[in-house]
Amino acid sequence: MDVIMKKVQNSGFKVQDNMKRDYIFVRPGMSPREIVNALRNLGKVCFVSVGMRDAGQSDFKNRLRIYDLKTLAPYYNQMGLFSAECHGGARWHVGIMNRRESPFEEIRILREQMPDVLLQTLVRETNLWGYRPYPRNVIEYVVSQVDIDVWRCFSFLNDVRNMKTVAEVVMQRGRLFEPAISYTSAEWTTIDYYLNVVKEIVDLCGGTEEIILCIKDMAGVGDIKKIGELIDAIKQRYPDLIINYHRHITDGLAIPALLSAAKAGARLFDVQEDSLVRFYGHSPILSVQAVFEEAGIPVHLNRKVAEEAVYRVREWIGYYEWAESPFKGLDHTVTRHKMPGGAFPSSFEQAQKSEFLHLMPAILKVMSLYNRIVRYFDVTPGSQITWVTCSGIVNRYAKEKGEAGVRHIIELLTKFVEEKGQDFNAMEPEEQEELLQLFRNAPGDFKNLILGHYGKLPTGWPDEWVYRSAFGDEWQKKLQERKELSPLEHIEEDDLDRLRKELSDYLGRTPSEEEFILFLMHPKDALEFIEFREKYGDAPLVLPTNVWREGLKRPGDKVEFELRGKPYCIELVSIGGEYEGIIHVVMKVNNKTRVYKVETPRAKKKEIKMAKAFNEIGAPIAGNVWRIGNPKRGALKIGDIVHKGEEIANLEAMKMENAILAPFDAQIKEICVKLNDAVQEGQLLFVLEKI
Amino acid sequence: MPEIKKVLVANRGVPAVRVMLTCRDRKIPTTAVYSTPDRLAHHVFMADSAIHIGEAPPVESYLNGEKMIEAAIKSGCNAIHPGWGFLAENPDFAQMVIDAGLIWIGPPPKIIRLMGDKIQAKKIAQKANVPTIPGITDVRDTATVKKWMQEENVTFPIMIKAAAGGGGKGMVKVEREEQLELAFNQARSEAKKAFGDDTILVEKYIEKGRHIEVQVVGDQHGNIVHLFERECTIQRRNQKIIEEAPSPTLDDNLRQEICFTALRLMREINYTSAGTVEFIFDSNAKKYYFLEVNTRLQVEHGITELITGLDIVGIMLDIAMDKKLPFKQPDIHPNRWALEVRLNAEDPKTFSPSFGTITRLEIPHGPGVRISTGVYEGADIPPYYDSLFMLLMSAGADREDAIRVMDRALGRGLRVEGIKTLAPLLLSIIRHPLFIKGEFSTRFIEEHMNELISMFREKTSEDEALKVARYVAEISALGPQVWM
Repeated sequence: MDVIMKKVQNSGFKVQDNMKRDYIFVRPGMSPREIVNALRNLGKVCFVSVGMRDAGQSDFKNRLRIYDLKTLAPYYNQMGLFSAECHGGARWHVGIMNRRESPFEEIRILREQMPDVLLQTLVRETNLWGYRPYPRNVIEYVVSQVDIDVWRCFSFLNDVRNMKTVAEVVMQRGRLFEPAISYTSAEWTTIDYYLNVVKEIVDLCGGTEEIILCIKDMAGVGDIKKIGELIDAIKQRYPDLIINYHRHITDGLAIPALLSAAKAGARLFDVQEDSLVRFYGHSPILSVQAVFEEAGIPVHLNRKVAEEAVYRVREWIGYYEWAESPFKGLDHTVTRHKMPGGAFPSSFEQAQKSEFLHLMPAILKVMSLYNRIVRYFDVTPGSQITWVTCSGIVNRYAKEKGEAGVRHIIELLTKFVEEKGQDFNAMEPEEQEELLQLFRNAPGDFKNLILGHYGKLPTGWPDEWVYRSAFGDEWQKKLQERKELSPLEHIEEDDLDRLRKELSDYLGRTPSEEEFILFLMHPKDALEFIEFREKYGDAPLVLPTNVWREGLKRPGDKVEFELRGKPYCIELVSIGGEYEGIIHVVMKVNNKTRVYKVETPRAKKKEIKMAKAFNEIGAPIAGNVWRIGNPKRGALKIGDIVHKGEEIANLEAMKMENAILAPFDAQIKEICVKLNDAVQEGQLLFVLEKI
Repeated sequence: MPEIKKVLVANRGVPAVRVMLTCRDRKIPTTAVYSTPDRLAHHVFMADSAIHIGEAPPVESYLNGEKMIEAAIKSGCNAIHPGWGFLAENPDFAQMVIDAGLIWIGPPPKIIRLMGDKIQAKKIAQKANVPTIPGITDVRDTATVKKWMQEENVTFPIMIKAAAGGGGKGMVKVEREEQLELAFNQARSEAKKAFGDDTILVEKYIEKGRHIEVQVVGDQHGNIVHLFERECTIQRRNQKIIEEAPSPTLDDNLRQEICFTALRLMREINYTSAGTVEFIFDSNAKKYYFLEVNTRLQVEHGITELITGLDIVGIMLDIAMDKKLPFKQPDIHPNRWALEVRLNAEDPKTFSPSFGTITRLEIPHGPGVRISTGVYEGADIPPYYDSLFMLLMSAGADREDAIRVMDRALGRGLRVEGIKTLAPLLLSIIRHPLFIKGEFSTRFIEEHMNELISMFREKTSEDEALKVARYVAEISALGPQVWM
């Protein structure tokens, strides 16, 4: 065994087939029913590795690159995992925005390197991998185009109606649907409440034969006892239902909670490499295996290979220290403010950037009060709504009234929620006035939420004063517009052909299906991503992380990679000093010396105005303006009237003349070039005013 | 018998380098001339000596005959070869060279003058029984054009040409009456600028015409021989970009007929040195019409050299030295098919010029390839001159072979960085089924432009690696970025 593992480590990850087979019990291509049966017949619990998605999302701001993650793939391919969550959530968006990796490339790479592993995504029921509810036709189109085996799908409102479209498309495709119930611990989240959600899910999916159920404890707040009771209750109602417990570790009680869930009958557990574990993600795979085995619960895992994967992480995890949260350490108060693992680092990042990190304790306190007033689950997009709303309130008070103001609002909310049991009328008139201003500046998404644009809230709509606070005089009108139907029923379909054309016009070429889907999810960021990749090619995929982030540092430093089956080597020769905003970098690319001119932020941009509006006349080619006007009437000047088709200037390039004609009858408002100027293609020549 | 001791090449870029190569073969030293922006150009270093002749604008440098002659005398040359373009077809210059006691490597000035005037040339052609395109010659204004069209029952499109023109300059096609005025003025203005003479003529436009020309060489002893034809139908903006020899359009009878018609005309005017008779060929009607005589070495002469095995520049040198042609007509046996593409520094989609520095240049090699370059890696393409910087030629036993070799040379061998070139378009054209079948006209590019652009190939792994390198360079210089 050891010899084989050495081989795995040193050479092309070729693992002997017979050894691998021992642990593989599900694989891509199996029908949902076959997968569910395989789980039922396994007789052991097993793991979903979130090492390639949620681990990075929770503790490394989703910056773990596929370049590094793929080193784990050969181990995953023989560890005996149930699946690898490697896709979805915010990894999607951060991928195109920050890592400049396409989620489609990631799938292709992983399929190649771990062909026997079920690839799993995390998808929001109507928001998919974006942040707004999409119309039904977009959901249908996108879900049908993405090659994923296991679709874990949740609603932050537990509004099961919203899952319908994703469920239909996934099940029709013969892929495994894994509906998740969003889980938190609050006075209203009773076992009956959850059993009812599970019933709705089972009804939606036509039974328990072709699904597995996830309990998504995204903030990691499940009490050890309560989680066992819930799973036990579900198993009593649905004995054949396979349950996957997903629990973050922030409160420090995750492993006992997992054990409690396992004892109650959960069969699947989300874990990650021990070496990836920090404070907001999931439990360490080896520890969980050990604790389960000790408790007499057999675990399906090739432990040796899992250990190799844990070691492998250490080779590159050091490159991501910069991406870790500035707040390190566990936090049991998460059970009150309930900020989920995935949202924690990004919230801190934003607080740090916007310089209100010192307000974080106050914001977390306000969140814990807020989520008793407006009840839903703090997971995307709910966590963002909570965060933006509460950080907005605290920042407003801090700005207007300083520290005392912050203390005051916490006192006011505490009194309202804890002393007065949210009885609005029990508050003093001036306190009522203040509460009625609380949500006036709340973000649009908060307002959309309470108007039902995301679906129905889990325990009904908030009290009337919340609407008065959010909408002022308009509150009654707004209340009448509140939607009772699922957004799937009332959001108007997008015109996909029109959107595709929009993208096509922007790119100046036909976009690929993948580019179109990126554009549907995140229009602005997708365009930036496509531009980046057109300019820098596969740099995000082939460069090691230190080079990706910092480049080559010293002369002689080199980076080697393979591209399209050929070897390449880039070696730094020298980096010149900055002069007028330009740095010359000399490198050898496959031994050939090349000089790169790099503009620094201080580079003087020669400002060349381009023609944009219809009344702005641009140069059709690059050339020399050798005539302004025409031979008949001579030179033109500002204020002259020109007629449609009249020559107004002439460009010469390589001895060919190019007449610029007035596109309509017009007066010349501006002449933007001088005689004998050399102009670029598209450069603004004239501004005309149509007459 | 006069002996050429040293040649001043009154040109730059591709033609200058081409002439110098044959001079090297003959162990004849050369002098290059250069304008200020051409100080480090390729042709300057190909020569044995080099003389600065003025500033960038051609009139101050490459079109300045006096400076050329001065430079020749100063550098000890006793002969001048004009290449093509610039002063090549300027009879006054040719005469000045002769008057200065130097050898003019080209046809006599009076023939250049005669054939340079399109109107005269057409009359001579008619006299020699060579078919010509219906048209009018002495055009002063657009009213005359309209009158002629009415009387002769000619419809649009028509062609306006500079009487002194050539190389597509001063040539404007007019589709509709509204365009006539503007086109007329443009042709005159371009003609004035390019040739110093704004006389123009107007002709009927032959739709779907093909451009066929016959290479002729004649010595000063009355021997005149044709070296068969070339087809130069693939053009953009009336400038040839792909040429081949022989023509895929002609059958042997027609080939013989057109070649001997050309020869008849050249004999009629006692042509000496190398020259070309151009025809427009109406392939539907199988009719050809005289276009013009080019009294110079042509850009595309190389493909004739490839199919005949001759060196036309060498022949020009011999003729200038009063030698007899060493062959007779029956000795000329073309036994190859050759193709030439013109690499212009232009955007392959818009044809807008792309000047700048050639940061990387890899030149194709291998069987059947001939390169004629005017640049080297690191050279600048200045904005003042013609955009042609390299000719790529291929040869094979038949047309299919020649196309295959060209595909390899263009698609796998050539690499130019720093400027845009026509290469993607040229590759699309030679891969286009209609080009392969030989079914095309001078309007092929405009008719198929979108399709040709859609055939532009995907990026190579080398291009992709360079994108990665650009990223590494930027991050190495700038450090981690905020967007990360």
